[in-house]
Amino acid sequence: MNKDLLNILSNSSKDIDNQQLMDYLAGKLSDEEKHQVELQLLNSDFMNDAAEGLETVKDKKDINVFVDQLNRELHKKLLRKKQKKQKRKLLQQRWVYAAVIIILAIVIATWLMIVKYQALKTK
Amino acid sequence: MNPDRYQHISDNTLLEKFYADKDNHWLGILLQRYTMLLLGVCMKYLKNEDDAKDSVQQVFLKAIAELHKYRVEYFKSWIYMVAKNHCLMKLRDRQGKAPAMLNEQTLVIEEEVLSAQAHLDKDRILDAMTRAIEELNKEQKQCVTLFYLDKKSYTQIAEATGYSMMQVKSYIQNGKRNLKIVVERLIKQQ
Repeated sequence: MNKDLLNILSNSSKDIDNQQLMDYLAGKLSDEEKHQVELQLLNSDFMNDAAEGLETVKDKKDINVFVDQLNRELHKKLLRKKQKKQKRKLLQQRWVYAAVIIILAIVIATWLMIVKYQALKTK
Repeated sequence: MNPDRYQHISDNTLLEKFYADKDNHWLGILLQRYTMLLLGVCMKYLKNEDDAKDSVQQVFLKAIAELHKYRVEYFKSWIYMVAKNHCLMKLRDRQGKAPAMLNEQTLVIEEEVLSAQAHLDKDRILDAMTRAIEELNKEQKQCVTLFYLDKKSYTQIAEATGYSMMQVKSYIQNGKRNLKIVVERLIKQQ
């Protein structure tokens, strides 16, 4: 009995890194390396779908260009979200400051009025 | 941003860091690990480069919004599910049909079946496998044997058998699926 048969049931999938996948698609790997990548593709629907989809990109060089574009967009969006969040926080803080100042002003005005009223009363 | 700087940090650790301080910076690092794979998945289903790129962006936005709402345990399976469902929805809009969606439960069931198999005696499985392989049709048996036992690549198998690459791939995929079914049946009978 051949123990390699157990590999068929095993679903342990070591992650294939992006470069390895690109090299596989470009036909740059040795037969042994190809077999290793294919073994992982068979164990992961995600990797398999991805490889099948990337295979259909006409010019493989475009893949890296698209990925770079998408990553740049992603970080831009995340940065914008972060700035919005900070702005909102700052706006909230402004309201807190304004409220404190108004309350303080009311307290001082009331105190001044009381002092004045008492001064008038003693006269 | 240089992704290599964070290469040693696992997906789970990045998620934990995000859940700790809710800083989207961690999600950026995590998501960009999967940009290429997501692009591939979207290409496979939508078969159009511009649609695929748009969809990856939408998947990113959806993922960011959802991750703020609830905890995700298996990020890789989850983001695949989000992307595949997004593409299936787009296809449904195009074709007016309702395709079967993936859900987290199917992902969990797969994991459970595998861990259940892990508890079984290896000799019993091996014995069942040896018998099951005989039940495959000629093409599947030939390709599965060349791939798993002789460790040949698809190209080598295609050259040796005269089948196309697509045929080799599908014989192996279907052979593998059939083997699992037969092995499970044989083990239950024992």
